[in-house]
Amino acid sequence: MTRLDATRVIVEACPDAAIVASLGHPAYDLFAAADRPRNFYTWGSMGVASSIGLGIALARPDARVVVLDGDGSLLMNLGSLATVGMLQPPNLTIVVMDNELYATTGGQPTATAAGADLAAAARAMRIEESVTVRTEAELTARLRARLTPRAPAVIVAKVGESHPTVKPPLDYVGIKQRFMAALGCPEC
Amino acid sequence: MTGQPPATGDRARAAGPPRPWAAGVCDGAHAAGVTDVVYVPDNPLSFILREFEARRRDVRLILATREEEAFGIAAGLYLGGRRPAVMLQSSGLGNSVNALGTLVVPYEIPMLIVVSMRGGETEWNPVQAPMGSAVRPIFDAIGIPHVTAPDAAVSDTVREAGAAAFATRIPHAVLLPRRLTAS
Repeated sequence: MTRLDATRVIVEACPDAAIVASLGHPAYDLFAAADRPRNFYTWGSMGVASSIGLGIALARPDARVVVLDGDGSLLMNLGSLATVGMLQPPNLTIVVMDNELYATTGGQPTATAAGADLAAAARAMRIEESVTVRTEAELTARLRARLTPRAPAVIVAKVGESHPTVKPPLDYVGIKQRFMAALGCPEC
Repeated sequence: MTGQPPATGDRARAAGPPRPWAAGVCDGAHAAGVTDVVYVPDNPLSFILREFEARRRDVRLILATREEEAFGIAAGLYLGGRRPAVMLQSSGLGNSVNALGTLVVPYEIPMLIVVSMRGGETEWNPVQAPMGSAVRPIFDAIGIPHVTAPDAAVSDTVREAGAAAFATRIPHAVLLPRRLTAS
């Protein structure tokens, strides 16, 4: 399963979800899989995607929120797991695209390549529905099980690199305004 | 279940009479329409959080583990239609600069920022001096307007900063100097 394969599974399984993508390759793959109005592409702020997703989930308990994080990115903001575990937003699913690499910056290995277990870290922070998946079937089953969620979840998807060839536009304000309008809270 | 402990805790609840400046920050933020306060606490901020817990229970207080995370949560709250504030100590601005410079400012995500200042003439711990001095140049460099709270009428200053943020979609910061927060 490549990261793009996993991203397509998520978009298909969660058609109505607000999806926040971490910068670089996770955002590029989301754009390639489906450029939906409910996509929020980050172009910087490495590590913060899960926190953005938490804020949206708290603001909009009626909306399903999925974060496409990276292993390198989540390792920058592990405290985010403690905050999610403390607040327990049921509508938040954090999918960690764990390729064990800093793929966007040239493919250097991350700590997960040495065995750091992000699903175990999430469970230790009281995000009890946290698992590691390795196939599209496993990922699909986990996402379907969360159609009526009772607690937040972290799904660590072990993925191969997909070498993105397209990128979303560098239109930061346009990305935000389209996203907010799609979520039913337009700015104007 | 949300397991977040009370924002102020037993120690701050017991810590003497209310501070007028803290009530002013709370009232000003509320008047600007702030719906959520994301915070990493320090001693002066605990007096503001106590005011919210006592008098403005419609404002949600959200504890973050680190200031950059707080700005990410606040950005998400705004994307979901809320009006957030972030409250932090000046030391924590150093932990936040990338999220401000690459998310909050370029995506035009407005929020009220309240900074409890360290450093200055009355600082007892010299390690706090460099970041205390760096707060204003950092805000200037990344394009976030800031104002230092006056000794009186703190509420007006905070309300105007918050209102300007949500009207212009540019975050605005209010700095709380130690001469104020020690009073």
